[in-house]
Amino acid sequence: MNDKAQLHTLEGLAAALLMTLTILTITQSAMIITPQNELVMDVQLKQIASDALTVLDSAPEATIRNDLTECIASWDENEASLDSNNLEMLDYELSYLLPDILYNVNIAYVNATTQLTDKKVIVNGAPTENAVVARRLVSLSNSTVSSSGGEWNIADDELLIVEVRLTAWRV
Amino acid sequence: MESLRKDNKGQWIVLSGLVISLILVAIAVLANQAVINGYYSSNAVLELPKEDIRELTLQTRENTRMILDMSYELNQTNNKTVPVIFEDIFINCNDQMKALYAIRGQAIDTRIMMPMQIANETNMSGKDIIWVNIEYNDGRTRYVSSPEVIEVEK
Repeated sequence: MNDKAQLHTLEGLAAALLMTLTILTITQSAMIITPQNELVMDVQLKQIASDALTVLDSAPEATIRNDLTECIASWDENEASLDSNNLEMLDYELSYLLPDILYNVNIAYVNATTQLTDKKVIVNGAPTENAVVARRLVSLSNSTVSSSGGEWNIADDELLIVEVRLTAWRV
Repeated sequence: MESLRKDNKGQWIVLSGLVISLILVAIAVLANQAVINGYYSSNAVLELPKEDIRELTLQTRENTRMILDMSYELNQTNNKTVPVIFEDIFINCNDQMKALYAIRGQAIDTRIMMPMQIANETNMSGKDIIWVNIEYNDGRTRYVSSPEVIEVEK
């Protein structure tokens, strides 16, 4: 009787066990991939949001109708709600630059009585927990506000620094 | 079973299986390391305030240009010199920017280096050179540009 096959069977079983254990190790370590992917998406989203504000702020005059400073300068000092956004031009330009991304825009500034003021100017909903915030500063002078038709009250010898906060998230 | 004890042909197969398994384990460890590296590098990119620092520098340059333009205009209508007007507005802007950065937990400071080099107050052509110190600190990252030399075309 030839009983060599029994040893081969045992070898096969041992090899199968080792390979199964190896595959299990790979599968378990792949669980770390999930947070990594979320972080990479956050990095990408933040970069896209920052780029959108940068493009709006620094694009040459001929390529864009109203840049970020002009849009902010034209604000009528009324806060936005979900139904009505105050800066329609900025909303239109951002929706073009941020396709398939939802966003809110707030502005923050230090007013004459050195009180920090934070106002909503574009509201598109409640951000999810994975939302990112991009910021850009713009400087407003009396002449900028006058030429843009805004309601800001700025003295001739004053430069108002306004922080534009873009909160962006994917749905 | 006696013949099995003496038969050693299967040892090569066992050894091959062991080598292949070790290679697979090594690949799994390497893949795991690559994933962890990706996690830490993404986290580092999110935590590094490069946009904030770039924004601070760009905005200081932009403010300097705007303030100098305003200073020359105001100089025509009042008796203050251009450097005095410039300094007043610059300090006010610095205070506003400090407050805006402070609410994010970041400390910044922009200061004009004295004496301010204004080429010629009456001649409205050429360039002015303003030297500004810029500092940024959020507790983890500190950035200092001392001096930031800003050329302003009149």
